[in-house]
Amino acid sequence: MKNSKSIASDEQIIQDLLPRKFKTSGRIWVGILIAICLVGVYAYYRQLRYGLVVTNMRDYVSWGIYISNFVFFVAISLVGSLITAVFRLAGVKWGAPLTRIAEMIAVAAIIFASIIIIVDMGSPERFYNLFIWGRIQSPIIWDVIVITTYFFISILLLYYPLLPDIKILLRFKEKSGPGLHKFYSFLGSFWTGSHKQYLLSKKAIYALCVAIIPVAFTIHTVTSWLFATTYRPGWDSTNFGAYFIAGAFLVGAGSVVVAMYIFRKWYHLEKYITPDHFDKMGRVLVLLCLLYLYFNVNEFLTPFFKMKESEAGYLNDLFSGSFAPVFWFAIFTGIILPIIILLFKQGRKPLPMFIVGIMVVVGAWFKRYLIVTPTLLHPFMPMHDVPEMYHHYFPSWEEWAITLGSLAGAMLIITILCRIFPIVPIQETINEHHETAK
Amino acid sequence: MKLLNKILFGSLSAIFLLSSYNGFSQAPDKGSLSVAINYFNDNNKIPYVLVRVKTKVDGKFKTVPGIPLKLFLNKDSAGLLIGKVVTNESGEATSFIPPSLKKAWGATIKHSFHASFMGNTKYDSTSADLTVGKAKLLIDTVAGRSVVATLYEMKDTSWVPIKGVDVVLAVRRLGGDLNINETATFATDSTGKASGDFKRDTIPGDLKGNITLVAKVVDNDQYGNLSAEKTVHWGSKFVSKANDFNKRTLFATRAKAPVWLLFMALGIIIGVWTVLILLVQNILRIKKLAQEE
Repeated sequence: MKNSKSIASDEQIIQDLLPRKFKTSGRIWVGILIAICLVGVYAYYRQLRYGLVVTNMRDYVSWGIYISNFVFFVAISLVGSLITAVFRLAGVKWGAPLTRIAEMIAVAAIIFASIIIIVDMGSPERFYNLFIWGRIQSPIIWDVIVITTYFFISILLLYYPLLPDIKILLRFKEKSGPGLHKFYSFLGSFWTGSHKQYLLSKKAIYALCVAIIPVAFTIHTVTSWLFATTYRPGWDSTNFGAYFIAGAFLVGAGSVVVAMYIFRKWYHLEKYITPDHFDKMGRVLVLLCLLYLYFNVNEFLTPFFKMKESEAGYLNDLFSGSFAPVFWFAIFTGIILPIIILLFKQGRKPLPMFIVGIMVVVGAWFKRYLIVTPTLLHPFMPMHDVPEMYHHYFPSWEEWAITLGSLAGAMLIITILCRIFPIVPIQETINEHHETAK
Repeated sequence: MKLLNKILFGSLSAIFLLSSYNGFSQAPDKGSLSVAINYFNDNNKIPYVLVRVKTKVDGKFKTVPGIPLKLFLNKDSAGLLIGKVVTNESGEATSFIPPSLKKAWGATIKHSFHASFMGNTKYDSTSADLTVGKAKLLIDTVAGRSVVATLYEMKDTSWVPIKGVDVVLAVRRLGGDLNINETATFATDSTGKASGDFKRDTIPGDLKGNITLVAKVVDNDQYGNLSAEKTVHWGSKFVSKANDFNKRTLFATRAKAPVWLLFMALGIIIGVWTVLILLVQNILRIKKLAQEE
C-alpha cells in the first residue's frame, strides 16, 4: 500500500514537472522575444553594411554598451557555478530544484556573451584574426579561451543531470510529440539508470562541479583584467578581480530569483519552489549584496579620499556629475535597497524577492555601463582637436536594438530550454521525496 | 523749426549712410615685402642662395609663403637667371647655382645676387641684392686634438688667406652644432687660420666613435655663409643598450611569449581540457554500459 502510494506520488511529481507546451500567453511571449531579436538582427545588418559608424562609439568611447552588455552576460553566467557547483559541493540540498534554472541561465548568458563580443568587433571575420594573430600574452585571448571552456563545462553540467530526466521524458512520447521524442532519444536513450551508469554520472557531475568553480572565477577575473590591465582612471585597480566576481555572483543570484518566481507562477510549481527557497535565496542574496557593497566601498572610497588630479574628472563625473544619477541609482537600487528589504523576513517572501531580483539585475546592468563608459570619457591624456561629440556618449538606436536583441535572445534560449527540458530536475526531486519519506 | 529739424536729421542720416558705404573709399594698400638673400657654400661644393621673405603685421615680422621670385647672378638678365623659386611655409626658398652659370661664376672674384618679386594683388613688387666675395674654408686637425680652420679668398687668380674673420668650430649633433670648447668663435690670423682645442672628450659618436667636426663662417658681410666638415674618431663608441625588443616579454609578439606564461597557460588549458575530454568520453562509457546491459 505504501509502495503504491509512493508510485502515485512519483507520477504526480512527474506530471507536475514535465515540460509543457506553450499556451497563448507563452506564444505571445516567444513572439515578442523573436520580434525584439529581429529588430536587433536588422540593426546588426546595418552595422555590417555601414560599419561601426552607425554606433555612437568614437575615439573616446570605443567600448560602449556592447562591452557593458558583455560584462553583464559574463557576470550572470557565473550563477551556474554558484548554485550548481558551490551549493552541491557544500551539501546545500535545498538548492537542488534551482540547479536547472541556474544552468539554463548560465548557458544562455555565455552564448550571448560570445555573440556580443563578435558584434563589438564590427566585422565578424575579425574574430578569425584572434586565432591567427592572437597573442597568449593578451587578456583578450585569455578571455576567449576561458569563455569557450566555461561554455563547454556549462553544457556538460546541464547535460549530465538531465540524463535521468530524459529517461522519464522518453516515456511520454504522446505528450512531447515525435520531434521532441526523437531529440530526447538522441540525447539520452542510452540511460538505463543502472547503478554503474549512476556512479559514472555522479563522478562526472562531481568533477564538473570542481572544475567549474576555478574556471568561473577565471572567466570573470580575466574579464575584469581586460579593464584592469589598461592604465585608465577607474580601471587601474588591484581590486577589480574580486570586485567583478562579487558583483557577478550577486547578479547571477538575482537573475535566478527572478526566474524562480516567474517559473513558479507560470508553471504552478509552488510545491517544488517554496517560500522557503525564496527565504534561503534571500539570505544568500543579502550576503552577496553586503559582499558587493564592501568591494564597492573599496573601489570608490580610497580614490575619492585621495582625489588624485588625474582621476578627479572621472570621480566627480561619477559622484556628482553627469553620471551621478545612474551611479547612485545603480548603488541604491542594485545594492543598498535590496540589503534593507532582504534583512526583513517579509522581504524574503516570493513577491518582494522577485522585485528585489529585478532591482539587482537592472542595477547590475547599469553598473556595468558605469564601469565602461565614464572611464573612457576621462583618459589620463585627453585627445586634442577632437569633435565635441566625442566627449559624450549615448548609444545609437542600432546599439540599443542589438543590446536589447541580445537580452531578448538570452531570454529566448532560456524559454526554449524550459519548453524542452524540465525546469526542476524530476529524478532528483523524486529521490529527495523518497529520502524525506524515509 | 520743425523744418530745420527735418533738414538736420536728413543731413545726418545721409552722412551716416555715406560714411558706412565704402564705394567711395580707396582700395586698401598693398603690403610691402622684405626680401633677404643669403649665400651658402658647404664643404666648398656647389654654392646656393637662400631667400627669406617677410612682411610686417602689427609691428611684427611674419614670414610669407607662396611668393614667386626670380634669382639672378650679377645682373638682372635672362642669361644669368639662377632660377625661379616660390617661398615655402617658412617663407624661404633656395636655389643652387646651375651648371649653366659656371662660366659666369668663374669669370669674377665677387658676385652679386639679385632677387626680384613682380608683385601681386596683396604685395607690391620688390627686389633685393647681395654681394659676396669668393672664398673657401678648409678644416683640419692637428695632434693633441686641435681643430684648425683656414679661410681663403680669391684675389685675382689665386687664393690668399683672410685675417680677422670669426669662425665657429663645432661638432655636429642631432639638434644642432656644439662648440668644441667654451669659446664661441675663433678669429683667423694672418695665415687665415683659426684653431681651438677639442674638449668634448666624452661626446658619443657612432659605433666606431666617429664624430663630425665643422668649421663655419656665419652670415659674414663679405663672404656669406661658409662651412667645412671633417670626420674624426674622437667620440666615445656608441654601445647599444640592452633592450627587450627581441626578447620574450609580455609585450612582445606572439612568437616571443614568455616561457613561464606559455608553461602556465598551456598547463592550465591542457589540464582543464583533458578533464573535459575525459568527461565526454565518460558519456560514451555510459552509452557502452547500456549496450552491455
